[in-house]
Amino acid sequence: MSRPKPLVAALAVATIAATALSACSSSSAKKTNGGTGGGTGGVFTSIDANNKITAGAPMNPYNAAPNMFLGYNIMELGFTKNDPADPNALLPGLAASWTASDTGLTIQLQPGAKWSDGTPVTAADIKTSLAIAYTQGTAGPVAGAGGTVVAGSNFEVSDVKDLGGGKIEIDQQPGVKNLYFQRLVLTSTIVNDKVYGSQLPADIWTQIAAVQGTDAAAASAASTKLAAEGKTIAAFAPAKDISAGPFVETRVNPGEALLDRNPYFYAASKISPKQVILRSYSGNQQIWGYMNGGELDYAPYTSMPTNILNQVLKAGYTRIDAPSYVSASIAFNEKQAPYNLTPVRQALAYVIDRDAVTKVGEPVGGIAAPTTTGLVGSQSDTILSADQKAALNPYKPDPAKAASLLQGAGFTKDASGQWHLPDGTPWKITLQTVNGFSDWIAASTIVANELTQFGIPTTAAITADFATYQKEMGAGKYAVGWWLVALGPQTDKAYARIYGSADGFSVANGQATHNDSAAGNWEHTPATYTVNGQSINPGQLAAQLSVTPVSAQGPIIAQLAAATNQEVPMIQIWNYTHVMFTLDKRFTNYPKTGQDDLLANPPGVWMMQGYVQGK
Amino acid sequence: MTATVNLAPAGLKPRTRHPAWAAFRRAVTRKPGRLAGLIIIVFFILLAICGPWFYGSLSVDPNELYAPPSAKHWLGTDFAGSDVLQEVVTGARYVLATAALSALFTSLFGVTVGLVAGYQRGMTDSVLMRLTDFVLTIPGLPLLIILSTVWSFGSPWEMGLVLGITGWGGVARAVRSQALSLRERGFLEAARGLGLSRRHIIVKEMLPNIAPYAAMQLMLSVIGFIGAEVGLFFLGLVPFSSTNWGVMLNQAVFSGGAMETSSALIYLLAPLVCILLLTLGIVLFLDAIDELFNPRLRERV
Repeated sequence: MSRPKPLVAALAVATIAATALSACSSSSAKKTNGGTGGGTGGVFTSIDANNKITAGAPMNPYNAAPNMFLGYNIMELGFTKNDPADPNALLPGLAASWTASDTGLTIQLQPGAKWSDGTPVTAADIKTSLAIAYTQGTAGPVAGAGGTVVAGSNFEVSDVKDLGGGKIEIDQQPGVKNLYFQRLVLTSTIVNDKVYGSQLPADIWTQIAAVQGTDAAAASAASTKLAAEGKTIAAFAPAKDISAGPFVETRVNPGEALLDRNPYFYAASKISPKQVILRSYSGNQQIWGYMNGGELDYAPYTSMPTNILNQVLKAGYTRIDAPSYVSASIAFNEKQAPYNLTPVRQALAYVIDRDAVTKVGEPVGGIAAPTTTGLVGSQSDTILSADQKAALNPYKPDPAKAASLLQGAGFTKDASGQWHLPDGTPWKITLQTVNGFSDWIAASTIVANELTQFGIPTTAAITADFATYQKEMGAGKYAVGWWLVALGPQTDKAYARIYGSADGFSVANGQATHNDSAAGNWEHTPATYTVNGQSINPGQLAAQLSVTPVSAQGPIIAQLAAATNQEVPMIQIWNYTHVMFTLDKRFTNYPKTGQDDLLANPPGVWMMQGYVQGK
Repeated sequence: MTATVNLAPAGLKPRTRHPAWAAFRRAVTRKPGRLAGLIIIVFFILLAICGPWFYGSLSVDPNELYAPPSAKHWLGTDFAGSDVLQEVVTGARYVLATAALSALFTSLFGVTVGLVAGYQRGMTDSVLMRLTDFVLTIPGLPLLIILSTVWSFGSPWEMGLVLGITGWGGVARAVRSQALSLRERGFLEAARGLGLSRRHIIVKEMLPNIAPYAAMQLMLSVIGFIGAEVGLFFLGLVPFSSTNWGVMLNQAVFSGGAMETSSALIYLLAPLVCILLLTLGIVLFLDAIDELFNPRLRERV
């Protein structure tokens, strides 16, 4: 997507075992400079795929496109491991440790945690940061559309208390039980109270209390106020960067951002690079150019053909693979005939050769989906039993079976080999994709070819940009188009991509309601499916996942996987792989394939753990 | 007094000669380069018209991605294992059709506005020239980018229309200058004196005299239109839903890494060579057209 490496990287999520972090840290500690301070490693050069350098943008992490970079000068209390077995598992950040309870969370700040101006990180910084998170509408699992704050369903922090000695208590809204409270709090961006506190109104926590209260009118008014305040904060442009991370930004221009080592960082001795330069780029091709010249010490994945992969490896780069819980799919609007017919969607799944399409569209960073269940293979593999997996239809390419399904549904084939709908109309497909998403475009070429060969003339149509694509898809304009499913290790999020707002389901406190005419519903699947003789409501099951502990999710996922596999609301084509590249020329001791918890994070986080040492 | 002698053999009709055709043939064949230019243009026109008939739909082969040139694939294959030669041939239709349609719209608007303005003068001239000035100031590239949110530009009609509508200003101005010069000539004064209608004078008297000049302007603008459309696709500024040379260039560079490895180099060079050849053909042929319609050049030869 150009092809947005950024998109892949942003959505790519790492996981598997929370491997021996302490062991890794101790091994790397040997390579530091005797604990007397790093900074001998010279300049570490990279790009930030999630956040391009934007000319004129402020050094404000709440801006939509800030000149701030996670893990370098944006800090969190903890960093995600993206572990599907435990979404609350995190790497330490500004919090050295934490204890969760039914009512909230108690954290212990890193001893010596300081800002780059030498002042300590305090409870006031945490309190201000969590209040700002409330105004941004992005912290909760069910934040309202468009970033609006939804009463009672958002961040659920009700208070922050300083217990002294760097210990801080963070209370959850009474009566709310959010399974992911710990992760949401700990992965919030932490900013300096002295810089950002003045941007908030004095009564910010009163407003938050009102949003969480039972008075609906007051909650709505407070929510509107918070959203407006969030815009003010997003537009704020601090005069200079004050960071609690390993680096502080000293200069940014359209070509690059320069970050110097923060001497006050709590683990400064582990940080080897003196400076970090994050280069600007306009597209994949420019990043390939940097890599071929050996200019980047770390590069995130960019959608690339195998010839470029070989060239990059030849230039001395090492490829690192980590799991990604994102899947590229072809989705249907079942409001438009004939896609309302299950045999039609099944037939198309039999016609499309996912291996061939992946080979063309995403040969380096994709693995052909073994079947279609709504989850990526590694998720369903670990959750489903052998029997449940065996019962899934793999939809191996089988034109005869596809033809039989279509004939059974009343479709006919003319003398020229073209299929006609039951009403006699020649069947043609327009497969919609997005300008710049090179992998989808390339894949569409071969999907169109396969369908045309089968007798359904298919053309790929391209929308000018992704924003327009989302808007038009939401309006139900496309009968057949590309879509991303999974989008993270959390299974409730994965199924919400299919049986969520895009399918007319709205969720509150684990209960789903369905409205086929709801705005944004472009899938229009039935509210219930009959699977193995049993009627199920996929939207309700997906909603249940959001309040069910991971250890108890198995039976629900088995039902959803079977239903999705049978009804094929989307055909999963490939599952992405989170591919990265490191260059062992100026720096060494990078995390390796298998260290998925680290690899879920940018290199700044690796450095905090003692990785990436100068040669 | 001179006696007229009929040299034609009895029973045979005199051979019909078309002076225009003979002049054209003389102009084209006088220099080998001109003939080569004509052959190149005709070749590409035939390629655009007939090529897709012979080739049919573009085939793909996931087992032969970026294959080198071989007996099976003379110019190798692309990212989808499609034959590059086949893409060049089938892609020619969009490029040439767009250029032709752009030229058609340009001539339709440009010549009409220029002729009417030049002949009428006065208020009509002022209004039409201000309109022309406005068209000349329309930034074609940003307009196309904005329009790409509405149109997919999958059909040459759409892009041809936009390029033509934004590109007729220069032709209108040039034609107006010629018309202003023409309207003072004796034959037009005579036509006006005879009371012929304005429409008759513009269409029957002025247009034939302007046509050669307009034709030359159009051929020159075709080169510009080809460059513009291919450039837009190459830069990825407009979404593409069809195979054409600009799309090939875009995918070779930005998806295939043609600037980084040699695998996609032919995929990049093939459309480039076609554009170069076609431009060369037009430039060479223009030399013949120039001579054909410029009496002073004919006299010097």
